[in-house]
Amino acid sequence: MEAIKNTFDFSDFPRIDLIFAGAVLIFLLVFPALPHSSFAMATMIQFLMFSLYGMGWNTIGGYGGQVDLGKAQYVGIGAYTTAVMLIRWDIPFWASMPIGVCLSVGWSFIIGYPLFRLKGHYFAIATIATSLVLKDLFEVWDFVGAARGLEISPIIYQPPDFYRLIFKEDIYYYYILLFFFLLGILYINWFRKSRLGFHLRSIKDNEEVARSLGVNVHWAKVKTYAIATAFVSVVGSFHACYIKNIEPEDTMSLPISILIALMAMLGGAGSLWGPIIGAGILIPLKSYLKEWLGATAGLVGIDLIIYALIIMAVSAFEPRGIWGIVEKIRRRKRN
Amino acid sequence: MPLLDVQHVTKDFGGLRANSEISFTMEKGELIGLIGPNGAGKTTLFNCISGLHPVSSGHILFDGEDITELKAHEVARRGLARTFQVYVAAGDLNVEENIMVGCFMRTSSRARARARAAEILDFLSLRELSDYLVSELPVAAQKRVTMATALGSDPKLLLLDEVAAGLNPSEIEEILVSIKHIHHELGVTVMLIEHVMELVMKISDRVIVLDSGQKIAEGNPEEIASNPAVIKAYLGERYVKEHASEI
Repeated sequence: MEAIKNTFDFSDFPRIDLIFAGAVLIFLLVFPALPHSSFAMATMIQFLMFSLYGMGWNTIGGYGGQVDLGKAQYVGIGAYTTAVMLIRWDIPFWASMPIGVCLSVGWSFIIGYPLFRLKGHYFAIATIATSLVLKDLFEVWDFVGAARGLEISPIIYQPPDFYRLIFKEDIYYYYILLFFFLLGILYINWFRKSRLGFHLRSIKDNEEVARSLGVNVHWAKVKTYAIATAFVSVVGSFHACYIKNIEPEDTMSLPISILIALMAMLGGAGSLWGPIIGAGILIPLKSYLKEWLGATAGLVGIDLIIYALIIMAVSAFEPRGIWGIVEKIRRRKRN
Repeated sequence: MPLLDVQHVTKDFGGLRANSEISFTMEKGELIGLIGPNGAGKTTLFNCISGLHPVSSGHILFDGEDITELKAHEVARRGLARTFQVYVAAGDLNVEENIMVGCFMRTSSRARARARAAEILDFLSLRELSDYLVSELPVAAQKRVTMATALGSDPKLLLLDEVAAGLNPSEIEEILVSIKHIHHELGVTVMLIEHVMELVMKISDRVIVLDSGQKIAEGNPEEIASNPAVIKAYLGERYVKEHASEI
């Protein structure tokens, strides 16, 4: 009962936040009905996907302060599980997605258990390494199409197919993703108020103090890493059905991991709205930059330079990102 | 049966012996002061007792159970809480939420943790600070928050590490009242490391003195103040002269 109340209770936010969040929600609900280009629709879907990736990352990276730069490996596990199961055995999305989550979470325990013996930069580097190793393995593994990847041919299926998540029009993908997005917000709203959420903020500040308050620090980290992984894996599965053509390079490479971490870091690590704000800024920026500049010879990769500048700016000026600035101004006004 | 039984505890850091063969016992309901010069091994001893450092040799019994090999969070769950000299639970949470971190040790329900935190806020007169971030507060208030957070875990034994350090006389008086409150009204057994002699001598039932990792004296405050070894190692002649009338 209490858990349900905590999930739906947003009353600790100031009214202005809730009005703003309500306005954004209404916009998201009616967006497909507004006149829009297919490019704008694709950008909105990317925005929702990366919001969810960011929300997942935010549990361990934001609330827990453990900088994880290897989330792409779980995008890959989710995406490949769904694609392989659909192509080889015709298993629909709603069955393969939970199986993908189980595989991802299982792998996250295998990775997380030893990795959380490391701290700070060493942990971050180790997460990068594990993700890259998995990507290299997939690139030579014939069962999953090796470096060519896998293709889900929409011709074989009869769209719209709600079981397999095969559609011709993006609007179906959009609303299914919006449903996951809202579930994600409700889950994080519960999470931030839970015992684990409080323990993580204590771990982030000082692990010895957390221990002395009865927190099993290692287990709390491993558990939260698995939660973050579950978020990423679900969206990875969705990604396979949406993109229909997956390769190790565009699901599991380092830029994906960095981008996932960047959502929460720019928007506000350790806050509910942070990853959504981050994705709302970065994804349109990324899409339009690619559209305008990326095709020009010599400017390929300019988005990576911009990410680097953002990381430097955030760490130099306000480690808690845009939401950190908002909260600082609010506190100054109040005191 | 003593609540805490420390038996021949030795702690080495490489070639440095920080604690050497330290033994003492604490009865339930006692209030013990732990004093000694800087580097005497007081905080190291706290770290050994609370499980943050593994001991090199010796045994620690808490409530009849051998806790020597237990991890810090397991020791804490058995009812042994502590504060740190400079750390709070979470600087970017407010005071109430910091106390809740402690309360969450005994319950997974947010409502119950919050209710318990509210009791502690009132008990230690922290109510008006409840909405401030701990990192915004002055040192004196932060020290009281660390005590409140530790209390949130409903401990049987509370180890306080220099809660009066760096405070002015009126703040020390406030801390003193808080400690007495915790000791008398909640019945929590307390051990405190302190350099502020006025505070230690005023409230301790017994005082243990460490110097260079060794226990050099143990007794009631009057005995300690007149013990030649303690005067030589720590108190100094001046303290004894100034407080001659009280002793």
